[in-house]
Amino acid sequence: MFSLPTLLYLSAFLFSVGIYGVLARRNILVVLMSLELMLNAVNIALVSFGRVHALTAFSGEHGGQIFTLMVLAVAAAEASIGLSLLLVIWRRWRSIDLRQLCQLNG
Amino acid sequence: MSPGIEQLFFGIAAVVATVSSMLVVTRRNPIYSAMFLIVMFAAVSVIFMLLDATFLGFMQLLVYAGAIMVLYLFVIMLINPREGDLPEESGATEKSFAAGVSLLIFSMLSFAISHSNEVERLSALGSIPLLPEVSDSHGTIRAFGLELFHNHLLVFELTSILILVGIIGAVHLASRRKNNVPHNLTNAAEGVVSQDV
Repeated sequence: MFSLPTLLYLSAFLFSVGIYGVLARRNILVVLMSLELMLNAVNIALVSFGRVHALTAFSGEHGGQIFTLMVLAVAAAEASIGLSLLLVIWRRWRSIDLRQLCQLNG
Repeated sequence: MSPGIEQLFFGIAAVVATVSSMLVVTRRNPIYSAMFLIVMFAAVSVIFMLLDATFLGFMQLLVYAGAIMVLYLFVIMLINPREGDLPEESGATEKSFAAGVSLLIFSMLSFAISHSNEVERLSALGSIPLLPEVSDSHGTIRAFGLELFHNHLLVFELTSILILVGIIGAVHLASRRKNNVPHNLTNAAEGVVSQDV
């Protein structure tokens, strides 16, 4: 059960759930959360591949984990920028509905 | 830890992550989504620790469940959306389109996983606890830090620049300027506009 394919299937499933959230939801907050979900799914795949290749990988024993740490930093930056954009949108239009922002009109 | 216990913990963590991720994208109230996202991050952190990535598991808890989710909760608290502010959710057509796209992507990924020679070769060696024996220090903060600062120093420094840009961008965007008057583009409620954030 606890094997490489299971981990990859779990990662693929979480990634597809994130895609569903990004496509189906209109609430910007939930769309941002779905993005975090997708980043986490990729992290699972990175860490499990890194663990499997621990002794043979070109990038060293912890290559996958270091990549994941970088993804963590990108996720933190993305969350802070995305949420401040959300605040600006809320101040201007009193709405967190994505469909109201489809007019490219400031 | 014995392999049986690892199997059990992995099973629990995988089920929790799966269920809570589905709850994240289906709850109407963003507070519930945020709470289930925290549960999902904790489950992923358990999986990291089972994969001998101890330091990364703690980082996952600290950065994701700690810092990022607190940021989300602060924003939800700040804008305090009432029931009427929550956007009307997509209709059945859009939802089924989104479900179809995500199902398509999941089936393509599963096809790739089940037909990959590399994955087959690696998984023929057995389940993950039986895979390459690494030293006891694998994944600890010491081994991780030594490798990070020896082999990946440039990437680390570039990440710090990224974080700096993120800080400056967030402060610049969220700072309140005098001429930033809210105006109604669409059907924003008249009375609510004067109310301050």
